[in-house]
Amino acid sequence: MKDACVVAGGQSKWGYRDATLIELFQEAGKACFEDNPHIKPADIDGILVASACSERLSRQTHLAPMVAEYLGIKTSSVCARVELLCGSGSSAIILAAGMIKSGLSNTIMVIGGEKLFTPQRWETFYSQLGSVDHDWDGAQGLGLPPSLLSIVFQRHAALYGTTEEQLAAISVKNRRNGLNNPKGQFRKEITLQDAMTAKPVAAPLKLYDCCPITDGAAAVILTSGEAAKDFTDKPLVKIIGTAQATESNSISNRGNWTTWNALKTAASRAYSKAGITADDVDVAQTHDCFTISEVIEYEDLGFCEKGEGGIFAEKGLSDFGGKVAVNTDGGLLSCGHPFGGTGIRQAIEIAKQLKGDANHQVEGAKYGLTHNFSGAIVAHTILIYGRD
Amino acid sequence: MENQFNNLYSVILDTYPMEGKQLTKIWKFFEYLKEGRLTTTKCIKCGKVSYPPRILCPECLSEELEWIDLPTKGTVEYFTELKAGVPVGFEKPLIHAYIKLSDSFDILSKIVGIKSIDDIHRGDKVKLKVFDVPPIPAEIGRDKISIDRVYFAFELDN
Repeated sequence: MKDACVVAGGQSKWGYRDATLIELFQEAGKACFEDNPHIKPADIDGILVASACSERLSRQTHLAPMVAEYLGIKTSSVCARVELLCGSGSSAIILAAGMIKSGLSNTIMVIGGEKLFTPQRWETFYSQLGSVDHDWDGAQGLGLPPSLLSIVFQRHAALYGTTEEQLAAISVKNRRNGLNNPKGQFRKEITLQDAMTAKPVAAPLKLYDCCPITDGAAAVILTSGEAAKDFTDKPLVKIIGTAQATESNSISNRGNWTTWNALKTAASRAYSKAGITADDVDVAQTHDCFTISEVIEYEDLGFCEKGEGGIFAEKGLSDFGGKVAVNTDGGLLSCGHPFGGTGIRQAIEIAKQLKGDANHQVEGAKYGLTHNFSGAIVAHTILIYGRD
Repeated sequence: MENQFNNLYSVILDTYPMEGKQLTKIWKFFEYLKEGRLTTTKCIKCGKVSYPPRILCPECLSEELEWIDLPTKGTVEYFTELKAGVPVGFEKPLIHAYIKLSDSFDILSKIVGIKSIDDIHRGDKVKLKVFDVPPIPAEIGRDKISIDRVYFAFELDN
């Protein structure tokens, strides 16, 4: 079995953008090629495009050959779109890694993103009624999940005493980390008081507890270990463990609300494939679509004990210099969240951290992890990266 | 309903299910709902109760299912109001509650009939509320028919 290595990565500017979906993909593709001038479009034999909303919001299907054409790529091994809502980008990386490890592809561009302001934001809220079980949860008005996460937080608080101040500590940390990221949506520091006094979105969750609506795209190029040596002299960043777990989909069928068992299943499998434990992870980009998500992710990824996620954040153990630096590029809370782009943005930051090239470097980082959940906290997708 | 889309460019997503026996095999759910009953399917072979209702048992893959009644009254355990991003077609305040309907069945449902989040509390009793939603203008072969629809939420049970 071959190694699958990340040899280039780049993204468009994320935020409220003056560009169409296909233009965002062109910006991301260009940034990705610029990141590694040794790789040309002619070196790419496969493309996987991650996008969840292209039909609803850009009236465009059959996206992969279109993106390939705009980037001057002619494929011969794989050319397809991958969709798992917020986990679309990471899913595409997992599939690309499988193609490369097996030898079915040599070099694949994985590119993902969304155009969510089209041009009015309401359409995204409305279209997401189709991202949960449309007939049962969508019809109750439960599309994008602030209400669901509000109830998750209320239950976590009742069981473990997690506080709104602890959530605010995560918004402050991720906003601070985002200051270093020129491509992110928000580059403005906030104080604990800003976070605590912000207007409610789904009480007790407030504005800074929630990631924004974002336009943007991101791209990475994956190739085999042998080919990677032709493209780069830097330490090789390899995908060493992956997992994707689900238990149920409808909200009525979810098991435990405060321990995400599918996340524990995915973490256990990904660590085992990578031959590491949670203690070995130096840097992680987890799915901080809401601050309470990051709390439960610390716990169920094994960075701290169950119920201690709030304290973990409050003590700075998920910050630079702590136990594991989490969302070092600002996470979804600062960068924004164009669904199909998010997992790829996470991969870019982890690759930079492992090569020693990050804007804010975790010294000596050897192992990095990315995590997404998608839907009504349904599917959990994890990738573990290691370097030579 | 049509008026809600005035002045919005015409990208419309139907927020309710396909109902009517011309369009879905679980049409009985909606017929029972019109009678004020909340129902679901139970597998005759293995006894597995599924919600939402199915045409195939996810436990044993049997297609021999029967309709059973679920409780229509329950207790509010948690609730919240969505203040930003209320989807078009949903009235404000959009309040959701996690409701315990029985020892084995919970539902996260919209709460209707209250003017403010201040009118709901943990431990409040709630009951099923069935309401009309816009009919489906369906094409069945060469015929154009209108299929009446209902949906449900919960309201305070005072």
